[in-house]
Amino acid sequence: MTELIVDELITQTANRLFSEICGHEAIQNAETVGEAPEIWAAYSETGFPWISIDENLGGSGGTLLDALEVLRLVGYYSVPVPAAETGILGGWLLSEAGLQVPEGIVTVLPDLGPDLTIKVDGSQVSIAGSATRVPWARSAEVIAILFQDDGNNYVASVNASDCVITPMTNMAGEPRDSVRFDGVVCSYAKVSESIDAQSFRLRGALSRVALMAGAIEKMSQLTVSYTNDRVQFGRPVARFQAVQQHLVWAAQDAALSRMAAESAGIEATRGKGDFEIASAKLIANQAASRATKACHQAHGAMGMTQEYPLHHYSRRLWSWRKEYGGDAEWSKWIGRLAVAQGADGLYPLITGGSRVL
Amino acid sequence: MSEAALTEESVRKALSGFLNVRTPETRLTTMGAGSDDLDDGRSYLQSTAEYGWHVPSWPSQFGGRDADSRENALIGRVLKEFIVPDLYPFAIGLGMVGPTLLAHGTVDQKSNWLQLIASGQEIWCQMFSEPDAGSDLANVGMAAIKDGDEWLLTGQKTWTSRAMWANWGICLARTDPSKPKHKGLTMFAIPMDTTGVDVRPLTQMNKDAHFSEVFIDEARVSDTLRIGDVGEGWRVAMTVLSHERAGGGSRGGGEGTNRGSFVPNWISDLGTFGVLDTPVARQRLMEVHCHDIASKFTSQRASDEARTSGTPGAAGSGAKLRTVRSYKERAYGSNRLAGPNAMLTDGHGYIETMTAPSMSIRGGTDEIQRNILGERVLGLPGEPRLDKTASWNESRKGLL
Repeated sequence: MTELIVDELITQTANRLFSEICGHEAIQNAETVGEAPEIWAAYSETGFPWISIDENLGGSGGTLLDALEVLRLVGYYSVPVPAAETGILGGWLLSEAGLQVPEGIVTVLPDLGPDLTIKVDGSQVSIAGSATRVPWARSAEVIAILFQDDGNNYVASVNASDCVITPMTNMAGEPRDSVRFDGVVCSYAKVSESIDAQSFRLRGALSRVALMAGAIEKMSQLTVSYTNDRVQFGRPVARFQAVQQHLVWAAQDAALSRMAAESAGIEATRGKGDFEIASAKLIANQAASRATKACHQAHGAMGMTQEYPLHHYSRRLWSWRKEYGGDAEWSKWIGRLAVAQGADGLYPLITGGSRVL
Repeated sequence: MSEAALTEESVRKALSGFLNVRTPETRLTTMGAGSDDLDDGRSYLQSTAEYGWHVPSWPSQFGGRDADSRENALIGRVLKEFIVPDLYPFAIGLGMVGPTLLAHGTVDQKSNWLQLIASGQEIWCQMFSEPDAGSDLANVGMAAIKDGDEWLLTGQKTWTSRAMWANWGICLARTDPSKPKHKGLTMFAIPMDTTGVDVRPLTQMNKDAHFSEVFIDEARVSDTLRIGDVGEGWRVAMTVLSHERAGGGSRGGGEGTNRGSFVPNWISDLGTFGVLDTPVARQRLMEVHCHDIASKFTSQRASDEARTSGTPGAAGSGAKLRTVRSYKERAYGSNRLAGPNAMLTDGHGYIETMTAPSMSIRGGTDEIQRNILGERVLGLPGEPRLDKTASWNESRKGLL
């Protein structure tokens, strides 16, 4: 088996770019305005959004693992762009269907609304109904929708301008719009049977795990740095054991979620990482809950203000832990899988993961 | 008022004359989150003022009704059946400054201020924290320099909630920097419209702008506005803080009601998300609910103790730890169980989730409360500190 590693140039370039274009005020401004076209322009200029997508279909090449490294850094810097949606989610769906990936922003429907109907009619589909919490729909050129018809899986490529979009935001002020389809007609194409609702959900979870690992790491570093600067009772508060406990929780959660994200990314890039992704999302969700509590507590009142950047990370984590599966969903999924292995299969599952399935 | 002993029935009858009864549909906001409404609270306080229903334990000549602990608890219980608006804007005056004035104020101060607090006509804010004095409150550097029968105050306060509404600030200042940090402090009341007082709002991550920075530049304060003796500021501050911790300011508003049902609203509201029939969710909810109940009794006990003794002790720290944990668990638990839509800014439990982290920080962090319990209740050795005896001029630079 060849060893999978991320090209160092990707990490360096992304670090340099994001630290230049994505300071506290730029993020704050994106939240106020509701989008950040100039950040998107600088980001897309590098070709980052389309890493791991076939160059013949408008992609930038590279591996899924490379794309996840960029997402990790998007989370680390709170870059206010639909990086996952345009790339490894929407771009992936379009390219797997052999559809052209557009130059602009692509988004996806995290869930198909209960009233959403998609009717195949010859070379086109007609879509009616609505979807909620659609990331950056307001800024998107195309909405890629995975659907099933007559036992086959298809991807529809909807022009976002044909939809009625109501702006909504998540806790972090990131666009999570409501989208209504009033009999929208668009083209579609078939994808392989392995690309179904479950594999899409897992891929969505994988994208969030990468973002969350980055955000927890940054939050942990920010907290260590603040508590070393903040002096009370004549010494930096980081010297108090009660504060050190918070710092250690956050650092553990940062390490834990990054490790889980990396092993899930590696197995997914190899082609079979469902168990690792499910576990990683559950780990990242739980780590996010613990680490946001610890980091806020260690920051004291300063961390609650708009002017201090902690909330960029904590509010994103509170939102992302709910996307593509909360704790209950992945706990049940893993629980069923583990039970199905039987007593003798449990340990091999823990040590071997998806490879033994 | 007649001298007949109060009963639940008689209190209920009196209150129903001017208050609306809560129903299972009643929803109340907490801690001022998302609300700028002063009118509801003010008209409620005005309507309760005549017979002192809201501050029953205060002396009747100052806006209370001389209630003993039993009557006070009884009235508090019955009040919960009625719609009591969020009294967040008034809470410093009602729960903290009022009891502090009763303990440390002059007769004139009591007569001038208490009734206006009880009837909601005047709002107070608490000017304690400074950029370099948060958990280490005794490090405040706000200078107060005597000038005839006035004081000149100069310095900066921060995290001053309600400052933009307040008529008065209760302000901890340093009158003698050569004394050890706890000894050189004095408490003042400052009219917020005094020349030299500048309030600048601080926006919180929940978009709430109830917190402010207050910059004070040579504000003149009459010596008649000094609360307690010169150099006794720390003792007065501890009285204020003990009442805050004991939850003195929190009567009114809160998590709503369960009238007509055993299930509190915050739990039944989760029914629409289809989680109440899952065993894991039920177990978690019941854990939080049991903690809530214990927390309410603990707070009641601490609050009664604070009212009757006048100088509350460490019980308030225990009560605050519990109340805070209740609030946070309800907020985080509800938001988590409410599914993906709860990630939206109009989702279930949004305001509570965004407010939750501050609960274990404001009014003294959990860490500070545990220190108090460790040192005062368990008698554990304190943190090694040199700043208790050294002059503040020295200790402010850091001794360790």
